[in-house]
Amino acid sequence: MIEKELVAASTEPLILSLLTRGENYGYELIQEVKRLSGDKIQWTDGMLYPVLHRMEDNSWIKSRWVEIENGRKRKYYSIKKDGHQALKEKREQWTLLSSVFNGLWKGQNV
Amino acid sequence: MFNLEQKISEWRQQTKAAGVKSPEILDELESHLREDVERLLQSGVSAEQAFEIAVQRIGRPAALQDEFAKAGATKWRRLQRWKEALLVFLGFPLPFPNALTAGARETLELGGKEALGFHHDFIGTEHVLLGLLELKAGVVRGVLQRMGVDHKTVRTEIEKIVGQWPMHQTMRTPPYTPRVKRALVLAGSEAKALSQIHVGPEHIFLGLLREGGGVAAVVLKSLGVNMQTARAEILKELGRSQPGA
Repeated sequence: MIEKELVAASTEPLILSLLTRGENYGYELIQEVKRLSGDKIQWTDGMLYPVLHRMEDNSWIKSRWVEIENGRKRKYYSIKKDGHQALKEKREQWTLLSSVFNGLWKGQNV
Repeated sequence: MFNLEQKISEWRQQTKAAGVKSPEILDELESHLREDVERLLQSGVSAEQAFEIAVQRIGRPAALQDEFAKAGATKWRRLQRWKEALLVFLGFPLPFPNALTAGARETLELGGKEALGFHHDFIGTEHVLLGLLELKAGVVRGVLQRMGVDHKTVRTEIEKIVGQWPMHQTMRTPPYTPRVKRALVLAGSEAKALSQIHVGPEHIFLGLLREGGGVAAVVLKSLGVNMQTARAEILKELGRSQPGA
């Protein structure tokens, strides 16, 4: 299981990255993250929504309600220009971190 | 007999009671809960179990409310920034002489002289920065010096960027650029945030940092001054010594 602090730090870049694949809604975003991480990243489901709202306030993403079958509706999110920019910056940081660790741990058995 | 609809409606009431008031957010959370219940039902668990698991997974309403409140605070801060920008745009009286400490007034005067020294007919963020570096009192000079920034290095950088204008008749009191005005408004809110009645030179410095787009900010950046660190240093100094100069 990934530690709480790391999960918190990676939430926004994860959401932004997933949304570059196309618009999506909260429940499915959570499922994707679970799938991609082999269940190692566990969000408390509800906690995703305040993050999404904050990101929407930041103009990184936008949302719309979509009517699905039997009168139910889902709120779909999609990434905006500022979101791409934010993701670019985050991606640089995560890539750097990852390459630092790779360099340090090359050839080491843990 | 377990009534799913009733349970969901009760859950919504409880979440609302915990402080999640926005119907839109409640709708979204409910939509999530229903989605989860539905998938769980497909996997073969009973409605009652499905509901229990989904509620567990979505998290405690109070904790959710805390997080939404934090997200809302960000929104509020942005509103504040808009308000500040609007005040500048409306030409809110600046630089509110009564609210400035003697040190802050001196800084602006020194900044005015710097502008004249460059033969510039405006007082820009760069001149104010030089004023701050010339000011003997206060914490700003010391903090910047520790970061390897002094009057001379800054002046050299400014000359690289804007250059000295040829000698010509300049206004005796050049006007402030919009960026300086904005920085001064930001200085005001910095002082307020630190519960200070008067705006001191250190708040003006923080204002310049927060404004972020002026020549001062560019120069500081090119001299390797990290905005966050500089800000932290100033706040540390303020915590150590009572400002007031």
